[in-house]
Order: sequence, then C-alpha cells, then structure tokens
Amino acid sequence: MSMEDYDYLFKIVLIGNAGVGKTCLVRRFTQGLFPPGQGATIGVDFMIKTVEIKGEKVKLQIWDTAGQERFRSITQSYYRSANALILTYDITCEDSFRCLPEWLREIEQYANNQVVTILVGNKIDLAEKREVLRQRAEDFAEAQSMLYLETSAKESDNVEKLFLDLACELIREAKQNKLDNNDTAPMPGEGKTISYLSCCSLN
Amino acid sequence: MADTGAVAARRCDSCSSSSVSMETISGLTELEDLEKIYQQLCAEEKEVEAELDRLVGQEGTIHTKMLALQRMGPNLQLIGGDASQLSGMITFTCSLAENVSSKVRQLDLAKTRLYNVIQRTDDILDLKFCSDGVQTALRNEDYEQAAAHIHRYLSLDQSVIELSRQGEESSAVDASLVMLQEAEQKLKVIVAEKLDEAVAAVDLAQVERFFKIFPLLGLHQQGLARFGQYLCSQLASKAEENLLLATGGELGEKRALMIFADTLTLLLEGIARVIETHQPIVETYYGPGHLYTLITHLQQECDRQAQKIVDKFIQQRGYHNKFQIVQSSMMKSLPGERIEPRELDPVLAEVTLMNARAELYLRFLRRRMTADFEVGDAQSITQEHQQNVEKLLKHCLLSTTMQELIGYYIPMEEYYMRESVNKAVAMDSYEKGQLTSSMVDDCFYIVKKCISRALSSSSIDCLCAMINHANSVLESDFREVLYNKLRQGFPATTLQDIQRGVSSAVSLMQSSLQQGKFNTLGIESTENAKAAFLNDCCKLFSQGGGSGDQAKIESCLSDLVNTSTKFKDLLQEGLTELNTTAIKPQVKPWISSFLVISHNIEEEEFNDYEANDPWVQQVIINLEQLMAEFKMALSPVIYDHLTSRMTTLISSEMEKTVLKCSFSRLGGLQFDKELRSLVAYLTTVTTWTIRDKFARLTQMATILNLERVTEILDYWGPNSGPLTWRLTPAEVRQVLALRIDFRSEDIKRLRL
Ligand SMILES: Nc1nc2c(ncn2[C@@H]2O[C@H](COP(=O)(O)OP(=O)(O)O)[C@@H](O)[C@H]2O)c(=O)[nH]1
Ligand SMILES: [Mg+2]
Repeated sequence: MSMEDYDYLFKIVLIGNAGVGKTCLVRRFTQGLFPPGQGATIGVDFMIKTVEIKGEKVKLQIWDTAGQERFRSITQSYYRSANALILTYDITCEDSFRCLPEWLREIEQYANNQVVTILVGNKIDLAEKREVLRQRAEDFAEAQSMLYLETSAKESDNVEKLFLDLACELIREAKQNKLDNNDTAPMPGEGKTISYLSCCSLN
Repeated sequence: MADTGAVAARRCDSCSSSSVSMETISGLTELEDLEKIYQQLCAEEKEVEAELDRLVGQEGTIHTKMLALQRMGPNLQLIGGDASQLSGMITFTCSLAENVSSKVRQLDLAKTRLYNVIQRTDDILDLKFCSDGVQTALRNEDYEQAAAHIHRYLSLDQSVIELSRQGEESSAVDASLVMLQEAEQKLKVIVAEKLDEAVAAVDLAQVERFFKIFPLLGLHQQGLARFGQYLCSQLASKAEENLLLATGGELGEKRALMIFADTLTLLLEGIARVIETHQPIVETYYGPGHLYTLITHLQQECDRQAQKIVDKFIQQRGYHNKFQIVQSSMMKSLPGERIEPRELDPVLAEVTLMNARAELYLRFLRRRMTADFEVGDAQSITQEHQQNVEKLLKHCLLSTTMQELIGYYIPMEEYYMRESVNKAVAMDSYEKGQLTSSMVDDCFYIVKKCISRALSSSSIDCLCAMINHANSVLESDFREVLYNKLRQGFPATTLQDIQRGVSSAVSLMQSSLQQGKFNTLGIESTENAKAAFLNDCCKLFSQGGGSGDQAKIESCLSDLVNTSTKFKDLLQEGLTELNTTAIKPQVKPWISSFLVISHNIEEEEFNDYEANDPWVQQVIINLEQLMAEFKMALSPVIYDHLTSRMTTLISSEMEKTVLKCSFSRLGGLQFDKELRSLVAYLTTVTTWTIRDKFARLTQMATILNLERVTEILDYWGPNSGPLTWRLTPAEVRQVLALRIDFRSEDIKRLRL
C-alpha cells in the first residue's frame, strides 16, 4: 500500500448556479489561469492541489460541479462525503443570489452535518455592474452561519485566500474532532462556532 | 634633497650626456660635494665606455646586413612593377564582371516577363477555351465538363484578367468573360435545380452527381447543406418508420423491454453508416475539413429523431412518473405511493443502454471529425477546430437529452439500491451450514448489480455518482445494521452469526470491487482490487476518457476502499468481543486446571504421568472441539484471526498459571513435554507462526529443566548464541525459584 505524501486530505465541492464562475475559480486556484471561453461544465470536474499550511501538507480534492438542473442528481451524490462546500453566486446577477436558499436546502438535505460551508460572491472586478450589495450578502451568510468572501477569478482577488482559509478551517476542525473523540463521544455538527478565518492570511 | 632628485633624473636618460650639468659643478663650493659629484661622473664614464664597446662590437653584423640589403635592391624594383601590373588586371576583370552580371540581370528580368506573358497568354487562351467549352458542355448537358471550365476560370488570376482587358485583345477577352460569368450563373442555377429534383426523386446517383459539382463552383457550403438535407430526409423517414414499428406493439416480450433503446440504436447506427458511406465522396470532392459541416447538418436530424424516441420512451414507460414517485418516497418515509424496486429493473436497464449507445455514437463522430480535420490542419488539429467539435458533441440536443435521462436514472437507481438493501436486511435469514446469513450476499449482490448497471451506461459521471451512493448505503445503512446487531448483547451463537456477516461483508466488498472476479489475494488486497477494477473501467472508457476521468473514478473508488477499512475495523471489534465472551470463559479454566496437577514429582509419578496423561491431552481435546465449532462456522480468514487471538490468550494464561506452581527436576521435564505437545497441536490449527507467541513459555520450560542453578549461565549473556531472551533477569530468577530443589542463595548469587 503506498503511503501518500500528505498530512490531510479534504474534499471540497463547489456548487451554485451555472455561469457564476465556479470553474474559473477552480482553474485560477489550481492552474493559475483565467480560462478564455470554455464551455459550461458537464457533470463534475475533478482537480487536485496540494498546499502547505504551517508546515503541514494538505491535499485538496476539488470537485467542480455543473450548475444546470439536469446534472443535479450527479452533483448531489458528492455532498455526503464533502468536507467543505463552496456555495458561489455572481455579485452582478441578482438571480444567482436569489437561488441561494434553494442551494441551502440541497445542502441541508444531502450534506453531512459537519460540512463547512462558505458563501462566495464572485466577479467583484465588475464593480460597476454589481447587483448584490456586500452588506446584504454578509447578513445573509451570517444568518445562515456561513463564512463569506468576495472574489474575482479574473483578477485573482481572494482566490488563494478562499481555498487556503478553508483548508485552515478544515485542519482546525479535524484537530478539534480528534480532541473530542479522545475524551467524550462527539456530537457532530452541534454547537459549531463559526469564526472568521484569520489563521493564514496571505501577503 | 636636490641632488637625490638629480640622481633620479640621470637614471631616466642613461644614454645622453651626463646628468650633472656644468652649472651644478661650477656652483659647487664644498669639497665633500665635489667629491661626491666626481665619484658619480667617474662611474658614469665607465658605463659610457662599456656601452661604446658594445656598439662597436655590433658593427660587423650590421655591415653584413647592409650588404644583403644592397643585393636585394634590383629584385624589389621588379616586384613593384609586377604588382602594379596585377592591380591593373584585377581592375579590368572587375569591371568586366560587373558588365556581365548586369546583362544577366537583364536577361533574368526578361525571362520572368516572358513567363508572365506566356502565363497570361495561356490564361487568355484558357479563358477562350473555357468560354467556348462551357457553351458546348452546357448544350450537351455535360455539367461536369461545364463546371470544370468554370472552375478553371475561377482559379485564374483575376488581376491578370483585368490587365488583359486593357490590352489589344480587350474586346475579345471581354466577350469571353461576360460569357463565362453568364455561364457560371446559369450553371449554378441549373445544378441547384437538378440537385433539388434529384433529392425530390430520391435518386441517389443524381444527388451525388450534382453534389460533386458544387465545390467546382465554389459552393461548398451550399452543396453540403443540400446534400445534408437529402440525407436527413432519408434518415427521417426511416426513423419514423422504426418508431412507428416500435410503438405499434406486436413484438416479442423480450425485445419489447428494450424497444426504445433498440430504436435509438437503429437511428444512431443508421447515421453512422451514412457518414461512413459518404465520407469518401466529401473528402475527395470537397477536401479535408468539410466532414464537420456535413455532420453538423446530420446532427440536427439526429437530435430531432432522438428527441422523438426519447419522448415516446418517457411517455410509454412512465419514466417521469416513476421518477416522481421514487423522489417523493425518498424524501419522506411517509406511506404514499411506492414502487417495488423490481419494477424499475427494465426501465433502468433500458435507459443505461440508451446512454451507452449515444456515447458510442458521439465517440464515433469525434473520431471521424478529428481525423478529417487532422488531414487539413498543418501539424495537429487547430484549437478552433477542436473547440468546434467539442461544442457540437457536448451541446447537441442528443447529449443534453441523454444527460437529462441519466439525471433521472441516478435517483431511481439509488432508490432501487436502498430499497433492495433494506429488504434484504429485513428478510435476513440464516441457513445452517452457510458461512453467512442471506443478507450479506444479497446486499452485496444488489450493490454490485447497481454499480455494474451504472457502468454499462458508459457515462463516467453516472458511474461515479452510483459509486458514491453505493458507498453511502454500505457505510451508513448497511454498516449500521451490522453494528447494531453487534451491540445487541452477546449470546455466543448470535454473535457468531454477526461474525459471519461482517467477515463475508469484508470479503464481498473486495469481490464487488473486482466486478465478480474471484479474489484469492485475501483480506489485505483491497488496493489491488481497486486497481483491478479501475483497470476494467479504463478499458471500457479507453476511447473516450481522458486522464481526468480516470482520476475521478479512482477517487470515488478509494472512498469505497475506505469503507472496506471501516468494515475491517468492525470485524476486529467483533472478534475482540467474541474472544472475550465466547472463548476466554471456556479456555481459562482448562488452563488453570494445570494447578491441580502436581509438578513436584519423583520418578514413579513421572512414569505414571507418562502412562496416563494428567492434563495436556484433555486440554487439546477441549480446544479441538471448541475450534471445530468455529472452523465450521467461520470463513477461513476470520477463523485464522480468531485462532490467533486464542493462542495469545492461551499463552498468557499459561504463563500466569505456571508462575503459581512449584516444580521438581522431573516436574520441569514434565512441563516441557506438556508445552511441546500444546505448541505442536496449536501449530496445526493456525497458519500464523505461534512459536513466537510461546517463546517466553518455552524459555521458562528451559529454565525449569536445568540441573543446577548455575547452568543458566551456559545459556545467558555471551553464551546465549542464537537464543534471544524474552525474560528479564528478574523473571529468570522468579522462574528458577519455582524449582523447589534450587536454593535461593544460589539464585541470588547469580550474576545476570
Ligand atoms: N468578469 C469576470 N468574469 C468571470 C469571473 N469568473 C468567471 N467569469 C466569467 O463567467 C462565465 C462563467 O464562468 P464559469 O467559470 O464557466 O461558471 P460556472 O458555470 O459557475 O463554472 C465565463 O464567461 C467567465 O469568463 C470573474 O471573476 N470576473
Ligand atoms: Mg463550470
């Protein structure tokens, strides 16, 4: 059996309406580019990137899903084993924001209750076309106990931060879980405090 | 100061007159200074003399050299004359060469012009020839010939034609041009009409005849469009006929179950055949890169017809209806309308077959179009062409329709799997003589079946989704069932049933990973099993799947492997329980009965024991009975794990017991014999090496067999040889003390 070279392995699944920029976010993070004119994602795409956080190797398995309804049942099968979900909308598209409750219902139904969810407002480079105010999204995220971050896949704004902060949070939870398991029986998902991530802000 | 400066100055110029000037001399007043200067001048004089001698000595050589130079004088004059002559010649040659080369250039220019003239004359002649020829050809309805003339005319250099119109022959050329242009227009109309007629008359020969003419007139797109139209109408009528046949009934029961998949297959195979048949004609007459255009036209008809078939399928099979029932019964377990999983079998099989056919067809299209582009594109297929192909294939209606069908298929298959597993658990039964209760085989059979069916759809995403669901069912639902049974208290017999369940679960896990291949690699081979299954998948998808697809499957499969690990953990947990509840209570008294048998014995008792074994034979018989029960009931791998635990238990119990006894010399020998018998027996019932587990006991027996206390030193420390002591010095002393005939002072005095 091969011992793979990492300390942690996390599954991250990106969800959200078609066209909000999920694929671009993943490509930006894993390949460092902004893909020109690629078609809509079919089914799910799978990518891996290993990052180092505080000397520990963290392997991130990133599942980029198609937003269209007809791929929903494929996408849903990935929720259960996901460690983190990146729920993405497009700040220049009110509609993509209004669909969020629907996505939350999906999460509620299919994801495990320990999953870390982060809400991402993408395309902040298009500030002049903004339709969803930051405050509104922040309030929404807070009400749903989600983290919130605004990004631009195009300008590479906050993209690294998104994934690295998420990895930090997952490591923190993994360590916490280990501790819990050692003394009392764990109550998964209960009383999980949501902290804004600060452990590894980037330069 | 001043004179040191003067001395320095002198050194700079040794060959000139003395560095001491007359003024300096006359200015001198002190004798001391005078003497100093005098000394200096004397030294200078000497130096000058030596220099003069040296120069005089050179005179001879210089003289000879002068003579030689004088002799060379006339020769030098000769060379000078030759050189100027040569230079004159070179200048002459140079101008001559320049002269010639300019003439050559002129000639070259003339030649090029001549060529152009010939070309233009040719063109003009061709123009005439074409305009004459086209008339005749048109009159004779020889459209191929006419088109060939027009093609020739179209390929003429338009600027040359322009120029010719300005020349002397202008009127004649003009006339030809006008005639040709008219003929071109006329021919275009005729060819289009004729093709339409042929299409209407369903006359393939004529259709092909005029189809070939279009590219000669520069009408590639139009030709392909009309030809595509023709092929589409052919396909459409055939497809409608087939669909009518399909929905008309009158089919055998067996075929009827797959009729829509069959109909779709007929459609797709038909199109593939059309492409195969007409590819050569397109390639030959239209050139490479045009197959894509034709396929774009055909795909439109394919989409239309496939949609019709799928619509009928949805309608007649109640596909959406079934999906809705499934969905609502999965959402809430309220009693509502439910579907028997068995009822879904045919429709699930049919839909996966449909998707597999579509995938096969799309792969065929990709291969053909890519190959066609590759002929035309310079090195490898251009990015733009590649994108066109992908766009056509991924976003055609056929693809999206199939994606929708698969989208409904997955929850239904999931439902099928969950419901069937639940049922298998509910109807669990155990037949005597079986290693597993029915639930285990049934559950894994179901899971395997569902994954195989998903695999047969040829859709990687579909397969991965079902692997995910299978994993979820096994890891949560099924594992929970086993776990709960394990927790329900431990009467020995039920417990064994569970053991059977778990153990078979683990081994079945592996065989399900291997898609039914028999697995001889044992319990540690999950990784291999995964690799083998992955290999199978790869073969299946080798034509279409990139490395990304493989990574996806691999990742989903490794989750399944993780689940298998969880089953193994559960198994270990169960084994521990079994060991403590079913084995330990029985084995412990057998071992401690050793205490009752005195090992403080003399010759007579020893011989007695020899004749009537007091202890070990009975223990072996007891163990034999106990193990036989387990051996029958458990799978070999589990049985082995269990015996391993049992031997560990026996050795530790033995150790504790022996330390409570006392031994004579012969008692030690007796114990040694007993231990050997026990180890020999245990070796036969397990595949693990048990010598290691009994190493400490064997060493204790060795100690109890010693003649004298000090004899231990023959085996200890530097004398231990190959023996590695598992007993600490303190333990050695403790064991020695069990011998009643060893004096404690001797033992204390030992240096270990
Ligand atoms: N201006 C801008 N456009 C973006 C950004 N991210 C994605 N897009 C564009 O949004 C469209 C959809 O992106 P894609 O990643 O395919 O969305 P997905 O369907 O969520 O995967 C594409 O045309 C991208 O070029 C961004 O950060 N800024
Ligand atoms: Mg996408």
